[in-house]
Amino acid sequence: MTVFKSSRTGHHRTYAGLRMLAVLAAKNLTRYRRRTLITVSAIAFGVAIFIGMASMLDGLIAEGDRNLVRYETASAAITGTGYWDEREQYPLDITVADVDAVVSALEDGDIAAAPRVGFRGELIVHYDPYPEDGSVHLNMYGIDPERDARVFHLADALIEGQFLDPGEHGILISAWLAERLGAEVGYPVTITTRTRDGFHQILDMDIVGIYETPNPTVDRSAIYMPLDIADFYLEMRGAVTAIHLALPEPVPGAADLQPVRAALERAGVNLTESPAAGDGGPQSSAIELLSFDEMTAEFAAAMELQDAAFAVVLLLLGVIAVVGISNTMLMAVLEREREIGMMRALGMRNGEIRSMFVFESAGIGLIGAAIGLLLGAALVWYLTAHGIDYSAVLADVEMDFRFDGVLYGVWSPRTMITAAVGAAVLAGAVALLPVRRILRRGISDSLRQH
Amino acid sequence: MITVTDVHKEYIDGETHVRALRGVSLEIDEAEFLSIAGPSGSGKTTLLNIIGCIDTADSGSVEIDGAPVNGSSKRSLVEIRRAKIGFVFQNFNLIPVLTAYENVAMALALMGTPESEIRERTMKLLREVGLSGMEDRRPAKLSGGQQQRVAVARALVKDPIIVLADEPTANLDSETGESILKLMEDINRKRGTTFVFSTHDQMVMDYAYRLCRLHDGLIESDEVRRSA
Repeated sequence: MTVFKSSRTGHHRTYAGLRMLAVLAAKNLTRYRRRTLITVSAIAFGVAIFIGMASMLDGLIAEGDRNLVRYETASAAITGTGYWDEREQYPLDITVADVDAVVSALEDGDIAAAPRVGFRGELIVHYDPYPEDGSVHLNMYGIDPERDARVFHLADALIEGQFLDPGEHGILISAWLAERLGAEVGYPVTITTRTRDGFHQILDMDIVGIYETPNPTVDRSAIYMPLDIADFYLEMRGAVTAIHLALPEPVPGAADLQPVRAALERAGVNLTESPAAGDGGPQSSAIELLSFDEMTAEFAAAMELQDAAFAVVLLLLGVIAVVGISNTMLMAVLEREREIGMMRALGMRNGEIRSMFVFESAGIGLIGAAIGLLLGAALVWYLTAHGIDYSAVLADVEMDFRFDGVLYGVWSPRTMITAAVGAAVLAGAVALLPVRRILRRGISDSLRQH
Repeated sequence: MITVTDVHKEYIDGETHVRALRGVSLEIDEAEFLSIAGPSGSGKTTLLNIIGCIDTADSGSVEIDGAPVNGSSKRSLVEIRRAKIGFVFQNFNLIPVLTAYENVAMALALMGTPESEIRERTMKLLREVGLSGMEDRRPAKLSGGQQQRVAVARALVKDPIIVLADEPTANLDSETGESILKLMEDINRKRGTTFVFSTHDQMVMDYAYRLCRLHDGLIESDEVRRSA
């Protein structure tokens, strides 16, 4: 016979005894069917909601990472040292100077690289052909059309017109912006900005294409033009503000940067200092390789804040489940006080009585968790297959998330199992309090209860 | 076997101090069939509880098998109850979700008795108390008398040195009550198990071999009614 030894009491607890306690606990579950059913339902609901919310949050993060990689950061980037910290000012004096050397080194190592110049400017439109005069401050990017298409998904997001051609005074604007400006392909725009040296500059351009990405931050704030046009008007003299890299990634944003370092090293490009500048080129400056995580640290911090808010919701769900099961167990314990008294009179130890109620409560938790797991799985299936369309809600909302309105869930078996096991363990634990209350009473007092 | 010496017990009932026992002394020998009789509030249940180690005396001493139980830890008292004492309650106090068999077997299972032995001893006792074929019935499917038989079997299954029965026939009609008394008497004769039961029922008193009358927390009389 299997014998377990309780380390606390030193008593031997047998398999037969534990089995009897488990059988008794299981049978007691059917004793108050309606109450058990209500509690099981509450736990199942809590677990399912937990799983669904976790799936949505994971989906939000995954979608955000994907859209950051596809439209903003790529897998990694090379910038002038310190550029990323200042990027919101769009400085044109922290650059990668010898772009050709860096890009060639990377392309020799089979790494797609897309140089970009990012700057701020004001886009001005006038009545006729536009419905009215107007202007808007935007983030503007000079991009190498061919290379950019190998790294980013902007070219795939084109819904009207054509992609950029080098040397053409054309821009791409988003459908979101086009709708608000009343713009169409072929309409002219004026852009005012400052050159790298700080002089005012005016560019007359035509809209050649309209894009629509699933990244609202890009759609609402960015326009694109050919890199050589930006280079000429901004007097960049061949320098760019960043070279974005496409790398193999198991999940978005998790690329291995070692091949990049190796490719640059092979070509003699030092990551701490830029390659020698050509005649009339910019002064040499240090360059650095930035990982996805480094580029999105602020976004990750915002997500952590969302995580905290999510945790509060989960805590509330947990409290509801705990209160529900506590109430059920309190009622069960109080109603069976005389029975508990009888068991104690017959020599049942306090630990055995506690175990019986913990088994019973954990049993309720386990059934609730199992049903919650099934409901949660069905919910996650729906969320991954169909998502939830938030576009109507988010149409005019400024937000830092990178998703366009339809949020899809993702499967996370670990979260699902954690939720289910957590619910069962928590349910078991909450039985201890009411049992403790009864066990502190005298046996004869308990036996007198009706 | 059990010696109770000058036991006092007071408890508080609402705002009233009740002096339940006021110096009770009693010796109980092996294989006795003893009835503690008295009106309500005389202290008989309190005395039974103290003998059964489910309550403790305020003063005086109780010895079971020569060992004093006064001042014993709660854990020791549990072990005494578990190994040496069987209880039969007025309300049967069976666990409603367990079958007759499981109600009886539970006591042995908790003691760590092997499964095969549990089965053998439980079935034997159920036969002995006249419940053959009813092992799988839950208490709700048994009559009051049958339930009390299960309770007697539960008390006896661990071979205690004493069975304490608190008004065991109070919830039974007289015929059924008598059959329970007869059963306990038979077991007492056959197994030599000591039975001590409290009662205020004359029929139960008449069954006792020894009758101890309690009044206002004091033993009023203690007489041997008939010999075994």
